[in-house]
Amino acid sequence: MVPLLPGIIPFGLIAGFTPVSFGYTWLDSWMGSLLMFAGASQLAAYQLMNEDASIWVILLTVAAINLRYVLYSASIAPHLADANRTTRLLAGYGLTDQIYAVCHRDYPIHNWNLNERIAYYTGGTLLLWGLWQACTVVGAFVGQVIPVFWSLEFMIPLTFLALALNTLKTRAHQVAAITGAMVSFAGLELPYNLGLILGGLAGILAGVLFRRVNQ
Amino acid sequence: MTQEFIIIVALAGFVTLALKSAFIEGQHYFTLPKWFVDALEFVPPAVLCALIIPGIFKGEVGLIAAFGAVPIDPKPIAAAIAALAFFMTKKTIPTLTAGMASLYLVYWLQI
Repeated sequence: MVPLLPGIIPFGLIAGFTPVSFGYTWLDSWMGSLLMFAGASQLAAYQLMNEDASIWVILLTVAAINLRYVLYSASIAPHLADANRTTRLLAGYGLTDQIYAVCHRDYPIHNWNLNERIAYYTGGTLLLWGLWQACTVVGAFVGQVIPVFWSLEFMIPLTFLALALNTLKTRAHQVAAITGAMVSFAGLELPYNLGLILGGLAGILAGVLFRRVNQ
Repeated sequence: MTQEFIIIVALAGFVTLALKSAFIEGQHYFTLPKWFVDALEFVPPAVLCALIIPGIFKGEVGLIAAFGAVPIDPKPIAAAIAALAFFMTKKTIPTLTAGMASLYLVYWLQI
């Protein structure tokens, strides 16, 4: 777990200070980290709130970005099936790309009992959670003293750009990305940021179809 | 912090928790259909790319609010240079640095 921690520091700082650059207070900024605890979707939610998007577009976008957690939770679930409900809910709240990666790697190779598995999950998640909360709050305070002309809000699309380019593993993924971007661009003037939703859906569809045709 | 803000963030938090807990809670009740799992793979590239577009082509950065408009919007050019930096380094920090630096540069060249 520890080797994965430094990577979240810049992202946590960005998640903290960009909402502030939109005019939110540090407390507003921290709320996202506390209630959502999912970096990319936090950034998307604040960007869309700033663009006065409708609540449905915001929730749909958050859901789309966080859909990958359904897969993670499906893969982790059998290992935590016998835990009590509170533990399971906390495990759900604390689920991240990082804890998924280490548990997915380490659960099958160790013969741990339930308590050991929970302890492993809890330890890693607490470390990550604490660091993430600290980074957002620090980022938010830093954001309050940085003047507006630094244009730090532009780091949101740049961060998404880096995350998106990192997902282009196959030709089908590239087709999904390009279609998503083009449809979103064509729909820029649609009300309620609908272009974004249509772009996402069109991109997913294009990726699926491309794979099907080329298999 | 307005009431509307709290409601949106709380609902977004609820949606996130629901997705994260979907299987840890519900594994005894349902399984994922195969088409859904297949489609999930394309959600990150499609949605993230769709999400970038308004951030690059809409709105004004703080530079413009502070120092006035310029003929050519620096955001798309800066984003293209950031993408180039990503393809060369495959790392996030150089991508962000290149993007921000070229945003300032392209703005400054026009004033």
